[in-house]
Amino acid sequence: MIQISDSKTIILEDESYEIEINSDKAIDLTFVIQNNTNVLVNIQSCPSLHISCELKEDYEAKILYWNSSKNELVTSEEYNVYRNGDLTVAYGECNLANTNRDTTILLKEAGANAVLSSASLVNVNKEYRMRVVNEAEHTHGDMKNYAVVLSEGKLMIDAIGAIKKGAHRAESHQTSRALSFAEGQKATILPELLIDENDVQASHAMSMGRMDEDQLYYMMSRGLSIEDCTSLIATGYLLPIVDVVKDENLKETLKKELEGKIQELCSM
Amino acid sequence: MKTLEIKNLHVSVEDKEILKGIDLVVNEGEVHALMGPNGNGKSTLLAAIMGNPKYTITEGSILYDGQNVLEMPVNERSKAGLFLAMQYPQEIAGVTNSDFLRAAMNVRREKPVSLFTFIKEIEKSINELQMDENLAHRFLNEGFSGGEKKRNEIVQMKLLKPSMAMLDEIDSGLDVDAIQLVAQALTDLKNETNMAMIVVSHYDRFLELIQPSFTHVLVNGRIIVEGGPELFKKIDDEGYDWIYKEYDVEPAAQDGKRRALNTLGTCAVRETVNGSKK
Repeated sequence: MIQISDSKTIILEDESYEIEINSDKAIDLTFVIQNNTNVLVNIQSCPSLHISCELKEDYEAKILYWNSSKNELVTSEEYNVYRNGDLTVAYGECNLANTNRDTTILLKEAGANAVLSSASLVNVNKEYRMRVVNEAEHTHGDMKNYAVVLSEGKLMIDAIGAIKKGAHRAESHQTSRALSFAEGQKATILPELLIDENDVQASHAMSMGRMDEDQLYYMMSRGLSIEDCTSLIATGYLLPIVDVVKDENLKETLKKELEGKIQELCSM
Repeated sequence: MKTLEIKNLHVSVEDKEILKGIDLVVNEGEVHALMGPNGNGKSTLLAAIMGNPKYTITEGSILYDGQNVLEMPVNERSKAGLFLAMQYPQEIAGVTNSDFLRAAMNVRREKPVSLFTFIKEIEKSINELQMDENLAHRFLNEGFSGGEKKRNEIVQMKLLKPSMAMLDEIDSGLDVDAIQLVAQALTDLKNETNMAMIVVSHYDRFLELIQPSFTHVLVNGRIIVEGGPELFKKIDDEGYDWIYKEYDVEPAAQDGKRRALNTLGTCAVRETVNGSKK
């Protein structure tokens, strides 16, 4: 495990990494990817985090940021993906502290591919601004945001998919789903598609709202309490985020943490 | 002995009275067929017993094993032994059959079911009902065909082992072979647990396999005539018209204009597509 308490540049040349950030000051990290790699970044504490990352041609990188911080986290992240590079950036947010993220992924050369996804159990303020920009032809961007908003939570996602002039046959897609279980919970999702080329594919799908009453009745008719149903549904929404991690032990640890947090918060 | 006792039950939906005073007693191990034209209250009765929040009980009582069912939330009714195999099972994306069923089994036990026992039981049920072997890992009913959904209701029933099973047109959407499979699974479960059953069906073929000892005919929110197995056979041969004449009743009109069906084998979907018989 790599422990981070100061700003630095990290060369990622192995298949998998576990990085832990624990600092009471702002951190500036640069990832230079020189192999296909799978990275778990566990944020224990850090008031302000800046990430810059270059994914060179033909490499595949999957990075999961797992927010375990007890204090507010503000991040700004920039990723450049080059020819045929394949990048996944994912956020697991089930902690009880505010988060403010600003993420930009630039698909700079032909064949570059990126998936930007989040899974959030929201019982505080979570605010994300996400941009995936197709700068070159045959690039593919996908944003997937899943959130379960609880009674004290407030979610705001500004998801921008942009296709620049000349990015022929580029694709920009996004899916956002926010689920709540009671009245008065707040979620705002702004899906934006800024298209400056004709020969492209772009889409967005969004659903927000309370759990369907018929579904709740069906599940309860098999003996589950409202809290059991909430936990099961929330787990189904959020758990797939841990699949980004390749290491089975790590995946199991994160899964248990997320399930525990869901059970704790959903039965409150 | 666990007994379901319904007295003078009146049920409304959005201020419209659907059930107008139902009395019914079902004892442990008994199989009751509930018949009647579409839209006359059969599903409403089962949903009211299970506690569907869309239905309002305006009068009457339901006791099960001496407990006041009407005071129990839906999940407590299930834990008390009631099970409703629904006509239109819900699809729940993101929740696997396996997680759902394990959770449902665990809420009715002091110690959670072991993974080994659970896998053994669910695989056995899946095999018996000839379902997709990946069923456990698929999301609950999502993307299932009509027949798969119905068979999945029986898989759930086999794992939860209710003492009172209510089947709301479980045979609709099933082909002939699947009807046989489902009937066999129900008969086996009944032999194993001595559960009671209330079966809503339009099909004589299914009822012949399930062998109800009691038949109740619900017309316009009331049980108009009761009898043994000979009654569902007579209805299969002659339809409902003789009941309307003999007991001087009119079936509830559907959508304000549709007259009720007068044959046993007509299904609601076909009715909707082709228009009602006059």
